[in-house]
Amino acid sequence: MSLLNPYFLFGSLALAVPVLIHLVRREKSEIVLFSSLMFLLKVPKQAIRQQKIKNLLLMALRLLILALLVMSFARPYLTQNTNPAAAATNNRGIVLLLDNSYSMRYGSNFDRLKTEARRRIDAMGSGDRMALVAFNESATMLGQPTADKNALRAALDTLEPSYSGTRYYEAFTLADRVFSQMASAQRQLVIVSDFQRNGWNRSSRESVIGSDVKTEFMNLAVENPTNVGIDSVSVEPAVSFARTYTGRVIARIHNHRKDQPVTVPISVSINGKEATRKTIMVAPNGTTLAEFTGFDLPIGFSKGRVRIEADDPLKLDNDFLFALDRREKLSVLVVDAGRARQSFFLRQAYTSSPDLPYAVNVTPLQNITPEELGKHDVVVLNDVPRLPDRIRDRLDELRKTGQGQLVILGENADTGWWNSYAKLPAKTTQKIFVAKDRGRSSVALTTYDHNHSIFKPFETSTKLALNSAQFFAYVGMEARPGATVLAKFEDGSPVIIESAKEDHGMLVFNSTVDNKWNDLPLKPSFLPLFHEMVSYLSRYNESQGWYALGEGIPVVGGLESAAAAVIDPNGDRQSLGQLSSGQARFFTPTTPGFHEIRVGPDTRVVAVNPPAAESNLEVMPPEDLIASVQRTQGESQKAGFFDEEDRQEYARHQTGWWYFLLFALLAGIAEIYIANRAYNKA
Amino acid sequence: MKIQNLELIARTVVEGFVNGLHKSPYLGFSVDFAEYRQYMPGDDIRRIDWNVYGRSDRLYLKLYEGETNTRVLILLDVSGSMNYGSGEVKKIDYARIIAACLSYFSYHQRDGVGLLTFDTDVRSHIPASRRSGQLFNILAEIDRIEPAKETAFKKPLRFLAEFLSRRGLIVVISDLYDEPENIMAGLKQLKAKGNDIMVLHIMDNFELTFPFMDAAQFEDMENKRKMHIIPEYLRTQYLAIINDHIARLRKEMSGSRIDYTLMDTTKPVDEALFSYLAAREHSH
Repeated sequence: MSLLNPYFLFGSLALAVPVLIHLVRREKSEIVLFSSLMFLLKVPKQAIRQQKIKNLLLMALRLLILALLVMSFARPYLTQNTNPAAAATNNRGIVLLLDNSYSMRYGSNFDRLKTEARRRIDAMGSGDRMALVAFNESATMLGQPTADKNALRAALDTLEPSYSGTRYYEAFTLADRVFSQMASAQRQLVIVSDFQRNGWNRSSRESVIGSDVKTEFMNLAVENPTNVGIDSVSVEPAVSFARTYTGRVIARIHNHRKDQPVTVPISVSINGKEATRKTIMVAPNGTTLAEFTGFDLPIGFSKGRVRIEADDPLKLDNDFLFALDRREKLSVLVVDAGRARQSFFLRQAYTSSPDLPYAVNVTPLQNITPEELGKHDVVVLNDVPRLPDRIRDRLDELRKTGQGQLVILGENADTGWWNSYAKLPAKTTQKIFVAKDRGRSSVALTTYDHNHSIFKPFETSTKLALNSAQFFAYVGMEARPGATVLAKFEDGSPVIIESAKEDHGMLVFNSTVDNKWNDLPLKPSFLPLFHEMVSYLSRYNESQGWYALGEGIPVVGGLESAAAAVIDPNGDRQSLGQLSSGQARFFTPTTPGFHEIRVGPDTRVVAVNPPAAESNLEVMPPEDLIASVQRTQGESQKAGFFDEEDRQEYARHQTGWWYFLLFALLAGIAEIYIANRAYNKA
Repeated sequence: MKIQNLELIARTVVEGFVNGLHKSPYLGFSVDFAEYRQYMPGDDIRRIDWNVYGRSDRLYLKLYEGETNTRVLILLDVSGSMNYGSGEVKKIDYARIIAACLSYFSYHQRDGVGLLTFDTDVRSHIPASRRSGQLFNILAEIDRIEPAKETAFKKPLRFLAEFLSRRGLIVVISDLYDEPENIMAGLKQLKAKGNDIMVLHIMDNFELTFPFMDAAQFEDMENKRKMHIIPEYLRTQYLAIINDHIARLRKEMSGSRIDYTLMDTTKPVDEALFSYLAAREHSH
């Protein structure tokens, strides 16, 4: 028997009140001096006992009335199986949830899981049926529910540990579906797992397992596990234009052991050759960063690997893969109006040092062919009046394939034409001469987006200041919908506008770079600003250093329509079909390692790593997990998991309170009768 | 209570009582002739009846009524239970006043007066006498008594039976917290020796009605024994038992021609004196 409102049982504390009063009064009863107890002692004990019994009976009746009332309010109901015949047989439906997430590779955990599963299969009764469900980030049934032990053993033999994370909810949802297919009198759910806390997100979860399901668990977690793993690696940037990598590869190493620090050697290898190495110490349950730079890269994609040489039972998280792309010098095509010295400062900016990763080609607009445009990473349109249609259309196409374009609008610009160019992220108005139109000698660039990467040098150096340059004239413009203003003059009008995400790859600068409309080219901030703008435009489509297993990896079509395919680490080829120019398609890797993505003649390499969260073996108490997913009887009723017959049966089981109330009434009548008799006699 | 106060109370009570009588049956009793007695050396020669001597040549003394010298012995119970009092007056105080009044009254009637206090044993004994200072001694003793122990009639009455040489009037003042058999055994022995016995049964009103309401620990004033009592459970039975006790005493004493008077401490002491006078008259 259980109770619907068990909190009403607190009312039974009231039963103690009369007893306590009796005891307290008895303890504190006053002493009365009397001449002699001689005659009082002669009173027959039986008379006193009778009276006492009468009073005790009255008190017991009153306590009983209280207790019965409390019980009736607590709404008792019967919980025994309504179908004892069915319960007596061995007709169980068993779902065995087997955790084959990546963390189960810890030590001999997976072997223990299989042993336990075999034991459960062997222990099946004659009428029992079992379904094996393997779960990691998703849940899969290993065959249909069956009573055939051999079939179950065979299915179990095929199970291997995966590289995926853990998600319990999916597993329980599938188990519930399996139960709904099994018409068994008794339902039993057995979970065999290391019960990683990471696999459960309490928020926004419903209870999925029915209240009638008997749950059991086998906890394979190791107490105080020893594990050091690489949480993540930051590769910034993933593209290098120089032989020596000047960016940073930063690895986060976490020591999951909570009681002692660990010292581990850590190395970076490129294409299988160790490039650099160091030794780090990681505090208990702490994280240490290891930074690497300055190693050489060959042309093309390089396969990088960060490795810690830690002797722990979970080896997989001791390696972390990344890919780096070393390209030739960044090819910048500067297209100008053909005027003398128009692009002088710009050319100087990109070629002032042979170490700079830029190859600049300056060509007047009239000499440009659409084919020529496609040969460069970035195209700078330096104050050209307008664009021929074919050039304009070609530029639009090239942006889709990853080309960056910087549009500089100045004294030569036909503002009417540029305003009509819908792909330009800015609407142009008119040329503004500050002295004439604004009544002041110049304006300065005072406001910019501090978080944008093109302004990174100005954030890290105090010597560089954008506002030192004076602007005497500029092309008035405003951002089109979706476009972003990255910098503004002091009067609030935009200076640099970036195109919207949907048509990315274009920046617009609205003043000349020839020292006529401004003195910016003479300022120290000119070089870093235009270097960063071009660098930014060249790699907005660069691939990431690595992807997590299960994450979608974009594959984008090149200049020409071509077939795309992925070669996985095992050498298996997966076709992605024909990709037209600029068309994007995603593929989701299922194994960690280096994948080759081929689009036509181009090949790029991406690194895929298993989820780092699996390295954290912190355990969630299995009881908590089961309590979170299993419905209570009340929830089941509320959710309508009962049919009409169940409801009637359920209602019948709850009628106990009526009996309690009836007994309370009878006890009340008896109490009145006895009390009246005692009173009248007195 | 000072002796003087006790004497004053006794005198006030007795004289008020005596004055209230319309006719004293005892006035002049001292001149009534009673008997002759042979002269003994030491007797007052003025009392010799010379007429008898003339006729018979023997010396006889002429004795009068008043000179019969009734001996009055007051037996005062000083057991612990006598210390009980539900109101202002404890039973022992009530008994003290009665004893004092009777002593005073008797002494001034030229009776020999004595006092014996007892509980389980004889506490003090002042033999009956008419010598001067006797009253003072008795009153002093009455004043000094402090009730403490239990009541047991057997030993004190046996003592009295053994040592009481002359018969007289014995006044027992007690709450009679003893078995009627024990009480009667001793009293009958005394009665058999020719003593007149008068029993004044002193009881508190609460002992007779048991009006207690709340449950409490009742402590016996004699033996300090405690008992948790719920009065409503016991009242009826208790009253039946005590009334039976009184009825038995009354019956037994009546059968043995012992005067018995139940005295409630809420009643005036006059009743005691009436009973005494009746008994004294009977004893002459």
